[in-house]
Amino acid sequence: MDSTKIPLDLILEKMAEDAEKAQKRVTKASEILQGQLHYEIALTPYEIVYEEDRVKVKHYFRNENAENKLNVPLLVVYALINRETMLDLQPDRSVVKTFLEGGIDLYMIDWGYPTRKDHFLTIDDHVNGYMNNIVDFIRKRHNVPQINLMGICMGGTFSIMYSALHPDKIKNLITTVTPSSFNTDRGLLHVWMKDVDVDRMIKTFGNIPGDLMNLGFLLLNPARLMVDKYISFMDNMDNKDFVENFVRMERWIFDSPDVPGETFRQFIEDCYKKNLLIKSRMYLGGKRIDLKKLSMPLLNFFGEYDHLVPPQACNQLSKAVGSKDVEDVCLETGHIGIYVSSKFQKLFAPKIVQWLKERDKEEIVTQTKLSDVRKKSAKNGVSKVKRVRHADDSRAGSTLNSSTLRER
Amino acid sequence: MADEDKQSPLKEVPFFPWLTVAADMWLNLIKATPSNPDTSVMTQTAVQSRFTRQLDTNLNLLKSFSRMMSEPESASAAANSLSAMPEILMKMAKSGFEAAMQIQNHLVEKAGKIGKRTEAYNFENLDQEVFKAFSDIYEKEFSQYFKIPPLGLTRFYQERFNEMLDKYNVFETMLAEFFSVLYLPLEKSFKVFQEKLKQMAEEGNLPKEAKESYTIWIKILEGHYISLFRSKEYTDTLHRTLNTLEDFIIVRNRMLEDFLQMLPVVTQKEMEELYKEFHVLKKRVKELEKQLNISPNTLTVIK
Repeated sequence: MDSTKIPLDLILEKMAEDAEKAQKRVTKASEILQGQLHYEIALTPYEIVYEEDRVKVKHYFRNENAENKLNVPLLVVYALINRETMLDLQPDRSVVKTFLEGGIDLYMIDWGYPTRKDHFLTIDDHVNGYMNNIVDFIRKRHNVPQINLMGICMGGTFSIMYSALHPDKIKNLITTVTPSSFNTDRGLLHVWMKDVDVDRMIKTFGNIPGDLMNLGFLLLNPARLMVDKYISFMDNMDNKDFVENFVRMERWIFDSPDVPGETFRQFIEDCYKKNLLIKSRMYLGGKRIDLKKLSMPLLNFFGEYDHLVPPQACNQLSKAVGSKDVEDVCLETGHIGIYVSSKFQKLFAPKIVQWLKERDKEEIVTQTKLSDVRKKSAKNGVSKVKRVRHADDSRAGSTLNSSTLRER
Repeated sequence: MADEDKQSPLKEVPFFPWLTVAADMWLNLIKATPSNPDTSVMTQTAVQSRFTRQLDTNLNLLKSFSRMMSEPESASAAANSLSAMPEILMKMAKSGFEAAMQIQNHLVEKAGKIGKRTEAYNFENLDQEVFKAFSDIYEKEFSQYFKIPPLGLTRFYQERFNEMLDKYNVFETMLAEFFSVLYLPLEKSFKVFQEKLKQMAEEGNLPKEAKESYTIWIKILEGHYISLFRSKEYTDTLHRTLNTLEDFIIVRNRMLEDFLQMLPVVTQKEMEELYKEFHVLKKRVKELEKQLNISPNTLTVIK
């Protein structure tokens, strides 16, 4: 080994510099951590307009002065895992705020915290029970035959089920990081869930504890989620904004309600193990979920680097549904980055607003009319399936501009 | 045999005649106790009389035992057993010591393999022999004690308590194995990192900042974890750990139910039954509400 090649003097000098910087950082961090920090989440005002058992519906106050206000209200269905507060995590990164500023009349389901008494609740109870009652409530409140529906992750899967079972009530469907095809080995969850003894889990826990699931999510990438994340916090703890946002994210990520046992059982057995949904062979309340009946326009978002719901679990939907107006949007980010990354704040929510606006003026078509339209489209060979890919500039190190959007 | 009797050390000790004399003395003393004819103390006398009779029986038993032991054959047998005692104790200690040594040797042998397990980024055929050996030892040497069928009135409670201890031990063993598997990428990442640094040093590209070194290491670690998590060995270990945890929780809950039943509180089992009934009833009410066109929104009722 040639020892003259190692710049020992430079390394030592750098170490001394680092030690000095660390000293300053710790002093400032101490002041910040002991000072007044604001890390509240979900601050956008709303009112509770619907309550059934543990389930509530939030109605946000939109900007009534916004131009081109949408006529059709939007209902957002979050997953049963974690909380819907993620869409309103911090004031400058809020999907909720962007929707309201874009003129959307926004409703959001708060699934609450299931207790042991909820452990017999099935997917059917959630989809054909709570969701259907809420959709009916909003339709009645606005006096409209159809509403827009947006689902997130597992909430997206519920939304697919609902839209296929009740297509007359949904005008447009937006699915984001939504698993619909489970037969992939790209995501570790898909690998691990294949052999899990779900009956024994339900017998043991009743509801699946949120903490247990969180531990599972941490174990998906311990190097990043249990080591690197906190090293990054130490590196930036002299930055008040960073600390506040970091704590906001921690508050959200560990706020995990338990998942009702019977719902979990069916989700694992029918979806993860048997992959019935994408094959249109899944049943809810005795009714088959036929994806060909999902006939409304569909906008399907997913993350290229999503380790929980990989693109392969999301991108099969557009081929399986009956709708002819389908758009797949692949964003070069992870599962949560779509909603909270500063880069995608300018892409994700504005894209939804725009997409809904384009379809807001369209006549609400009934199933009979829709089948006529489909027949005509098929005759003319018209099928509007678009696939778009949006790059994450943070990876490329460039600023956001239109050149980062490219067709697949 | 006769010679042996003569040589017996017990024959020299006047132990058995002393026993006979002592028993005789107590018997005479009891017989000498005057009986009380007073009817006012009838109950007390009856008790005394029962006590005397019992003592009498016991002393007679002692006396006949001492008589039997005074026989030359019995005395010889007793003497032989006493002289064989050290040998028996030695044998017991030896067998216990040998078992302990065997376990230790087994562990040392298996533990020696820890460092030689797998190559970098390769998590197939993990050598988890040390944990398997420990599980086997536990199963063969200890677990059986918790499985001895308890007897008597409290047998079911005792059985559940033993089962809980057993399942807890199995879970602890499995958890140790799981943590050991989780630790492997860390161990390997340091090894690969050191090799990488050596290579960089040789090329004169040694990182000048600690952050740079850290970034290299965390990428190596992440890669190792991804490789591990995709291996069948990891998935199997994860599921086995989860299964043993669930086994433990199930039997722990069963045991706690035993305690709760003694207290004036409801048990989980009872609550589960209630929840089930509640769930079914609620569904029926909601169905009826739907038929009557009543919204399930509780806020409309409040307003």
